[in-house]
Amino acid sequence: MQIVVAGLSHKSAELALREKFALLSFSDIAQKIKSSPITDAVFLSTCNRFEIYASGFAGGVDGPEVLLSFFEDLIGKTSSREDIYLYSGLEAVSHLLKVASGLDSLVVGETEILGQVKEAYERAKSEGLTGKIGNILFQRALYVGKKVRSETGISVGQTSVASVAVELAQSIFGNLSESSILVLGAGQMAELMIRHLVTKKSPKILISNRTRERAEALARNFRAVVWPWENRQEALEEVDIVLSSTGSPELVITKEMVESSLKNRRGRSLFMVDIAMPRDIEEEIHHLEHVYLYRLEDLEHIVAKNLEGRSAEISKAKEIIESKTAEISQWFKALKEGRELSFKHSDRPKAPRTAAG
Amino acid sequence: MNPELILIQIALAAYWGATILSFIYLAYKDERLNRWMLNLLGLGIVFHLASFGFRIHSFWQISENRYFLPINTFFGALSYLALAVCVAFFVIESRHHLGILGAFVLPWASLSLGIAVLIASPEISGLVPALQSYWINIHPVVLMTSYAAFGNAFGVGLALLVQEYQIKSRKPTPLCYRLPSIEELDSLNYRIIAAAFPILTVGIIMGGVWAENAWGRFWGWDPKETWALITALVYAGYLHMRYMMGLRGKKAVYVSMFGFACVVFTFVGVNFLSGLHGYLSKG
Repeated sequence: MQIVVAGLSHKSAELALREKFALLSFSDIAQKIKSSPITDAVFLSTCNRFEIYASGFAGGVDGPEVLLSFFEDLIGKTSSREDIYLYSGLEAVSHLLKVASGLDSLVVGETEILGQVKEAYERAKSEGLTGKIGNILFQRALYVGKKVRSETGISVGQTSVASVAVELAQSIFGNLSESSILVLGAGQMAELMIRHLVTKKSPKILISNRTRERAEALARNFRAVVWPWENRQEALEEVDIVLSSTGSPELVITKEMVESSLKNRRGRSLFMVDIAMPRDIEEEIHHLEHVYLYRLEDLEHIVAKNLEGRSAEISKAKEIIESKTAEISQWFKALKEGRELSFKHSDRPKAPRTAAG
Repeated sequence: MNPELILIQIALAAYWGATILSFIYLAYKDERLNRWMLNLLGLGIVFHLASFGFRIHSFWQISENRYFLPINTFFGALSYLALAVCVAFFVIESRHHLGILGAFVLPWASLSLGIAVLIASPEISGLVPALQSYWINIHPVVLMTSYAAFGNAFGVGLALLVQEYQIKSRKPTPLCYRLPSIEELDSLNYRIIAAAFPILTVGIIMGGVWAENAWGRFWGWDPKETWALITALVYAGYLHMRYMMGLRGKKAVYVSMFGFACVVFTFVGVNFLSGLHGYLSKG
């Protein structure tokens, strides 16, 4: 039994090289694997990494060598072998668990990778690429990925300015599906923020911009409503969230405007995000009751804090991964001796049972 | 040793265990802590109920007590109150996945039962004739049920203050993302009080009816009666300000907390003032 992983990621290779791998089509790779000596494989392709996990080879070949030449085969001899990392045996297992747990990601603990691992495994399985070992390993990796995220703080706290703003909005309003948002300005940042909000199923977005055409263009993309720039004060009485990112040299929302709108808000919270430079929203507003104003540097500060907090949880995550790798190692050992241990999804491996045949 | 007391000590230990776990859970995001907390709490509730069953059994050994609930003493009342707070929390949490609020609610139940077990006397005696009425099964139970709900609302209000402070400070800790949102806590606080207020009112009126039967007067400005009225007025004020004047968030919580302080004083402090309603003076 040979388990080998070969791959390249943001840690080992330049973007240009990673892109070449990211562009390869699933079916091409699957085809090539089928005609190679690899008998049990899952390959993972995201914008930050390309990896092949091989857990079975036909007749006595040298696993690492097979994988390395497979990589060269995929994109031609241009890739230098130094960009590719190789792990075998338990190191490969532990690497897979780290990847699934988000420990090897650019942003530690990010959750997207777990979905990507799951999808990679399911597609490989449905193509008939995987074998018994690969199935067990990946099911185990998905379980460990979930466990690490639920038992450590490695995925706690958002790590981009836009997602931090959305998370704060959720800490104020809860589910954002009932909330309404006023977006002032129609630039890139505004678009980015709306994109994040749309995934939270916010039904009502008002876009207001000094030049109406640009607001209309942006509104079309998100099924948002264009709100007249001059009437933005009235919108303040209705909306829950205000995002401001205009290029205006002077204040766009003054304390006076907010104060007068508060009278009709009946104590409902108002969350304001000002990511404009120079500022759009008067600083003093933050001191009004029920109003929370966050500026770009506040959000950036939170991002930095969150990343710090995640890093502090890495050692806990590693402990879980170590113990789970040890469990898998026990499983391998038992398999060699002709027994089969069962993990299921419990913390305690069940009593060994003898495999038939 | 009396099985009632053994069982209630186990319940007390389970409640404190759950309370401690809920504080650890505040600090460390580990879902297992939440599960263990709820398991311990459930266990505590079961032992507490069993203990209450034994208490009823020994209470009914005295013939004049038969079919009345043993909540005439400070011990019985505190114990019932703790049980009600825990059950209310258990029900609310399992429905809304609010285990994170455990640290804000469970200490009050643990404290209440702790005082009962450590300080109050668990002795059982015959009910005085004035209390031998079916009203004793209704009037205090109804009132203490509303107290338990107010206790939960107090915990929710506390969580709201923490959450509001975090967001206002612009330096939210990870806890901020795990607590329910300000608006949710605000509405939960309101809904619990809106549900508990009629129960409180009905409980007070029942007391008046009982007083009419037993003492020949509906209302006598006994300290307990006076403070119960003040409590009801504070909560009525809260509901009015919230509903009519849009009072929400932090200030609304302050008013509701003042209401809860009145509850605590009505329940505990008044014992030192009132002869008629005193658990300590044994009615």
